[in-house]
Amino acid sequence: MILQGLRIALNSLWANKMRSFLSILGIVIGVGAVIAIVSVGTGSTQQVTARIANLGSNMITVYPWMTRGQFGRVGGTVSLHKFTLELVEHVELFCPSVKKAIPVKTLNSRLITDEVNVNATIIGTRIDYAEVNNYEVAQGIFIGESDDLERRQVIVLGSQLAADLFEDDSPIGETVRLNYENRIFQFTVIGVMREKGGSMAGNLDERAYIPVSVAMDRLTTHKYVDSFIGQAYSSEGAVNAVQELEYFLMKYLQDEKKEQFRITSQDELLETVSSVTKTMSLMLGGIAAISLLVGGIGIMNIMLVSVTERTREIGIRKALGAKNRNILWQFLMESLSLSSLGGIAGMGFGWIAAYFLSQYGNWPFVISGISVVLAFGFALFIGIFFGLYPAMKAAKMNPVDALRYE
Amino acid sequence: MNRIMRIEQLKKIYQLSKVKVEALRGISFTIEEGEFVSIMGPSGSGKSTLMHIIGCLDYPTEGKYYLTGQDVAKLNDNQLALFRNKKIGFVFQQFNLLPRATNFNNVELPLIYAGVPSGKRKDIVLKALHSVGLKNREYHRPNEISGGERQRVAIARALVNNPSIILADEPTGNLDSKTGHDIMKIFQKLHQSGNTIILVTHEREIATYGKRIIYIRDGLIEKDEVVA
Ligand SMILES: Nc1ncnc2c1ncn2[C@@H]1O[C@H](COP(=O)(O)OP(=O)(O)O)[C@@H](O)[C@H]1O
Ligand SMILES: [Mg+2]
Repeated sequence: MILQGLRIALNSLWANKMRSFLSILGIVIGVGAVIAIVSVGTGSTQQVTARIANLGSNMITVYPWMTRGQFGRVGGTVSLHKFTLELVEHVELFCPSVKKAIPVKTLNSRLITDEVNVNATIIGTRIDYAEVNNYEVAQGIFIGESDDLERRQVIVLGSQLAADLFEDDSPIGETVRLNYENRIFQFTVIGVMREKGGSMAGNLDERAYIPVSVAMDRLTTHKYVDSFIGQAYSSEGAVNAVQELEYFLMKYLQDEKKEQFRITSQDELLETVSSVTKTMSLMLGGIAAISLLVGGIGIMNIMLVSVTERTREIGIRKALGAKNRNILWQFLMESLSLSSLGGIAGMGFGWIAAYFLSQYGNWPFVISGISVVLAFGFALFIGIFFGLYPAMKAAKMNPVDALRYE
Repeated sequence: MNRIMRIEQLKKIYQLSKVKVEALRGISFTIEEGEFVSIMGPSGSGKSTLMHIIGCLDYPTEGKYYLTGQDVAKLNDNQLALFRNKKIGFVFQQFNLLPRATNFNNVELPLIYAGVPSGKRKDIVLKALHSVGLKNREYHRPNEISGGERQRVAIARALVNNPSIILADEPTGNLDSKTGHDIMKIFQKLHQSGNTIILVTHEREIATYGKRIIYIRDGLIEKDEVVA
């Protein structure tokens, strides 16, 4: 009975190929959109997640912060000057889950050789900075412990800087001049970083690294750093590390309200990303649902036309002994075939679209089984839902009236 | 003899927006098993209306209709479908074949609705087609064969489920007279092999194939006579 119904349905759809095709277009687009959107969402999230993981292992960044002013008063105390090297050194002592605390002092300056000069972001930091951030040295070495202790004027260049300043020559051992607030310092190049590309914090290849002691005592007379990085022992330990850091800073800065500092961790970034992608998916999913709905209306429309056109056929079938439910089933089968054909075509279409988008956006190509089942199931549901009314209309026809219909 | 059909004071009134059309105004007769009855009357006399009611495709406004002892008015939609399927074989003037289906599939249709398993259908369908003199036309479609052949397919379809009664409403109306007589010979043969047949026509020549002729005019029986 079911096979019979399916055969009749497919025959009649085949007899009106073009019309059938046009009427399932909405479903094709809807199902395709659901699959492509879910794939793009998953793929791009994986990409961003990987990038965040790439930011460094178990990395927690701590910044000084200033609260917003209220009622015309400047809010909270500016804690900038309290973020001293001494504070950073105390972190390791008071926070057992923090393996290392690494100071970061950022300065903008110009680097000069005999031929060229370029703008550079100078990071004053210590030996562990490269490791925590997963940065690697391409040539030479990174800043060492003794460089920092002895305040040696050595510099490690980002790959872009090295290329700009020295072109193809090896810069190791060369001297660059560093212009900071119109004072010139001589630095010896000891390393060049591997190319890293853009990040959330600008082009990493246009940075240069010097010992933090040089940045603070020679270039400036600042007693404070811009931020520091705390590295947890493990990713499970990161939550503990954040809590310990919070507690420590509340005591150390005498800041019970946690107003003078901000702590960002990878976990937090990941949460932000997942909440953003969730919102996006919901929105786009809504659009896809609407196009499926429109597709359903398209199917209902074509089914109503089909029922009217075949009034005489319905009359003949009834005269030969078709029960109402036989007729109902026949037309329901037809709309179900339409919507599932649409679903299958949509899956192919979504699959291809998702593939090309993943190539374009450089994220992994993933098709989630749930999205396929969901989209296809929804297409079938629409076939039944929107096919039911025309099918019932056909089933309820009076045989003589149907036979007499011209 | 077994009584197949009894109708009593059958009336059918069509209520149009302004006027009332009394298509049948009180028709009564009985039909016994194995009879070959012609219903004859001019166009518009109510013959088709009567046939549709007898064929369980329509219902009367008034009056009683018993088919094989069953009061048809008391049947629900599903039981009516069953009656149309098993007890009645209807042959129409316009053939009423499904245009996209092959002759085989057209004849198969009543068997499908009767729930005959597909394995058994083929033999029954071929037997029915051969019994109306159709060979090598099984897989043609209605638009690929002549009018006479189409009516043969329709007759095969009407008798494929072994109905209690075969109803034919002007079966020769769309055919030339030679083909019409060929078709009537099939009905004659069916009658001889024991089938009960009711035939509607407005042509005397055709009506005389029957063994009894009921004349109707303006929705009333004028004369009901047995032909020698
Ligand atoms: N559905 C209908 N609505 C209104 N009037 C009808 C309908 N069917 C038939 N009639 C009228 O009933 C009368 C009998 O029609 P019909 O049974 O078709 O006659 P016949 O088959 O003998 O030519 C005619 O006057 C016709 O116009
Ligand atoms: Mg008529």
